[in-house]
Amino acid sequence: MEHAIIAEELVYSYGKQKAVDGISFQISQGEILGFLGPNGAGKSTTVNMLTGLLKPQGGRAVLLGRDISKDVDSIQKYIGVCFEGANLYEQMTGEENLKLFARLFDVKNFDVKALIARVGLEGRGKDRAGSYSKGMKQRLMVARSLINRPEILFLDEPTDGLDPASAESIRRVIQEERDRGATVFLTTHDMMEADKLSDRVAFINQGKIVALDTSHNLKQQYGKRALNIEVLDAEGKLQTREIILDTPDTPSQVREIMASEKVVTIHSEEATLEDIFIRITGRGLS
Amino acid sequence: MNLRNTGVLLGKEFIYGPKNFIFIMAVAIPIVLSLVVTAVFGSLFAETPRLGIYDAGDSALVERAGQVEAISVSKFALETELTAAVESGAIDMGIILPAGFDEALQAGQVTGIDAYIWGESLAKDRTVLGVTVASLAREISGSTIDLTIETVSLGDGKSVPWEDRLLPLIVLMGMFFGGTMLPATSIINEKQKKTINALTVTPATLGDIFMSKALMGVIISLAMGILVLVINRAFGAHPGLLVGVMALGSIMAVEFGLILGIFARDITTLFATIKTLGILLYAPAFVYMFPQLPEWVGRVFPTFYIIQPVVAISQRGEGWTGVATEVYILAGLVILIAVIVASRIRSIREKL
Repeated sequence: MEHAIIAEELVYSYGKQKAVDGISFQISQGEILGFLGPNGAGKSTTVNMLTGLLKPQGGRAVLLGRDISKDVDSIQKYIGVCFEGANLYEQMTGEENLKLFARLFDVKNFDVKALIARVGLEGRGKDRAGSYSKGMKQRLMVARSLINRPEILFLDEPTDGLDPASAESIRRVIQEERDRGATVFLTTHDMMEADKLSDRVAFINQGKIVALDTSHNLKQQYGKRALNIEVLDAEGKLQTREIILDTPDTPSQVREIMASEKVVTIHSEEATLEDIFIRITGRGLS
Repeated sequence: MNLRNTGVLLGKEFIYGPKNFIFIMAVAIPIVLSLVVTAVFGSLFAETPRLGIYDAGDSALVERAGQVEAISVSKFALETELTAAVESGAIDMGIILPAGFDEALQAGQVTGIDAYIWGESLAKDRTVLGVTVASLAREISGSTIDLTIETVSLGDGKSVPWEDRLLPLIVLMGMFFGGTMLPATSIINEKQKKTINALTVTPATLGDIFMSKALMGVIISLAMGILVLVINRAFGAHPGLLVGVMALGSIMAVEFGLILGIFARDITTLFATIKTLGILLYAPAFVYMFPQLPEWVGRVFPTFYIIQPVVAISQRGEGWTGVATEVYILAGLVILIAVIVASRIRSIREKL
């Protein structure tokens, strides 16, 4: 499978502050890569270099076989970008925002109503974008990133701070785009979202990629599998027992609790991406 | 740069720009100022330029002048009556035609016409009357002779009408308020709301974005400059040349606006900068407002090379030879500032 994005030793600094410090990765066509990291880790700077907004100070980024530093204008026809934070023309209506960008992308027979409906904004297309709620603006931004049916879709914190319904509608659109064959570069610090949507996830911390694999493999490699068992003690109070799975003693420990204690609930526990991130970096994602 | 993308973005500027407070101000302020100045000091309700003639013989010029609708003509029986009428301001210009004037014209013996000028008459009225008399004399001579109008100022000759004094300031304001502020505020808004990031990940380049704002500024600036001159009826005898000079001036105004837009972080900073640096833009107009100031003071400022040719063409009726030096300097300044703007646009990507 060909790579839609190849990043090789990308470097970018703001003054003396190194925001991105020699990161490398490849993303296959039709793949969703979750790019996880806390605020200030270098996620947005990486997106800005991959989309041609910033010129890498070191290394190179190749999108669809073309070097972004040398061929930015031709590559931008094939990418869609949804930025972190709303950057819409607020005095324009939702439809006018989309039509403006459709003209810039020279999209023929652009069906603005269909796109508005796809992101759940039907009936609000003729309202000024400035009157939209945060969730509606985010949905309009996602719609804007889809105007040219991009081969690569960059989504920078697309569901940050949204209500569950808005977030879910955006996740649905992301999955539809992947099904269409688009490559998705999903930047987020929401590990649940990354886990749910991504084929692979990359952890970025202090400008460096510290882990990159499928979430299953990361959990296998770094995670802790355990059983959480709630029991009632002699005084009738609820107590929790934890048994680590995959050890030689596991079966006997389970048997012992089942035989000697009053078991109320048994849950299997799996490491989350956040647990793994903390384990690798010593800091949380939020 | 892509013309199609520039056109799309220019359309956006014109469709949504008029809802902007600065856009409304840019159009309204020069018009209101022009109307106020012409109403208070000058020609908004004035009659057409007034020509007085004392004809010692029987010149056809008198009858032909009477047929020109753009001027009003009075005939005087005595030269003293004519000079008295000029001195009192009853007429703007008085000419004396000696006996045998037409015959001398046709024989090529006349090289000039003596004219008395009312000291407070508007420069544009003098221009209109001078050009009309010279044109009629050429018709009568049957050839394209060189003819000079020798003027003698009567009345309060030192008093330049306030409408003429204020015109350069209003023209500069008309051109620079829109030409500078509109591109500057538009760029600052795009930067603050980060919509410029959204545009630059489309096939539109920074060049397309800045060119669309520059074109919008030039169109508004030029239109407002022309409108101010139209309201003041000060278009002179060379409208094509005048529009050309004003187009160069509009480009300079826009270049200043682009530089301000690139450097200013927000609208507050922009207004603070304009308040501080505004003197650079409008200083030459004060030289015209107060004629006792030496002209070299104005020459220090770049906008002098816009307003000097505009005033020379519109108020003094001068042509290319009279303004060529200033126009060449203006063109040089426009190119120099364009190079600076282009280098700043190349570096702006780092700041997006």
